[in-house]
Amino acid sequence: MSTEEITEAVNLLSAVESQTQDVTKLVDHLLKKATENEYNTSKGISFLELKYQLLLSYLMNLTYISLQKSQGSSIQDDPTIDRLIEIRTVLEKMRPIDKKLKYQVDKVVRTAASGGTDSSDPLRYRANPENLISKLDDESESESEGEEKKSKIYHPPKLTAMHYEGDETEMDKDQKVLERAKKRALSTSMLRELREEFSEGPTEIRETTSTQRSRAERKLRERTHYEEENFMRFSVSKKDKGKKGKKAKQIISKKFVYDYMKPIFVSNVAKSPD
Amino acid sequence: MSEGAATIRTRKFMTNRLLCRKQMIVDVLHPGKATIPKTEVREKLAKMYKTTPDVIFCFGFRTKFGGGKTSGFGLIYDSLDFAKKFEPKYRLQRHGLVEIKKTGRKQRKERKNRQKKVRGTKKAKVGAGKKK
Repeated sequence: MSTEEITEAVNLLSAVESQTQDVTKLVDHLLKKATENEYNTSKGISFLELKYQLLLSYLMNLTYISLQKSQGSSIQDDPTIDRLIEIRTVLEKMRPIDKKLKYQVDKVVRTAASGGTDSSDPLRYRANPENLISKLDDESESESEGEEKKSKIYHPPKLTAMHYEGDETEMDKDQKVLERAKKRALSTSMLRELREEFSEGPTEIRETTSTQRSRAERKLRERTHYEEENFMRFSVSKKDKGKKGKKAKQIISKKFVYDYMKPIFVSNVAKSPD
Repeated sequence: MSEGAATIRTRKFMTNRLLCRKQMIVDVLHPGKATIPKTEVREKLAKMYKTTPDVIFCFGFRTKFGGGKTSGFGLIYDSLDFAKKFEPKYRLQRHGLVEIKKTGRKQRKERKNRQKKVRGTKKAKVGAGKKK
């Protein structure tokens, strides 16, 4: 052995000695603390403390495994893996409990962050029963008076809540009509096909169960599909021509479609200066 | 591609190497106007696909109910020779490349009836001249 190696060995041994002294000191310190009950374990470890202790030990074991792998040594039959599996199972079992506690934990964290609870906080979850009592005393008084005089005006019974239209101006009404026409025009088959072609999402095939049109629509779809595949056109029989004509009489003319589409291009109805 | 108010879009494009052509479905959008004639569709397709319009054959245009949209088929051949080879005669006739001689229907029926009266190879001779 050369002198260099001897000096190196001596240095390493002294380093080992000093490090072991530090370790023993740390362990004694911890033991003293645990025995003097500085860590409160009387009620058992709390749920949250267990959770982060488990996470920490999981991380430690994981780093050990990755260290072994990076050094090239095998990790087969390593007890670390069993420990990892055990910790993982426990964490999985803890997850549903965690989910149930989530709301409470979030609230506590929020109060800690904001620094105090506000008594008028709307999230202080307790229903106020006084708000649920209806003020029945006033109604019973007025009824006795009302019986004597009967008004001649007919007031329809108030069954459901209705939208109040009294404050709408003429402009608002026109605008609403325009918006509705726009919405209807945007969902015509023409634009729907355009949208299908240029959108990047997948094509949707929707199963509709409209019994009236299902057979006719299915037949029509089959026919168009065949026509497009084979680059030919079927001749329309007299019966089919008649059927198409029936539907035709519902829609008036070619011009109709164009007028139908016009709302899309009309910008907002000009608002009167207020 | 739009000119005036007509837009042409093509769908289901396919290059048919066996028949030396490109075939597609042609959608014409013409809101407020009548169906665009085939010659105009040919011009526009020629511009889109950078060929001459004489190798383009379009047919089968049907206007959707209510107007505004027409779908048809379009074929673009690699060359006019291939077109003459593969296209059916009636479509070539539409472009004026082939003349189909048509005897009138009445003439054909009369010839058939004359043939009925004769047996065997004499049938061929019968149609040669109109009797009386």
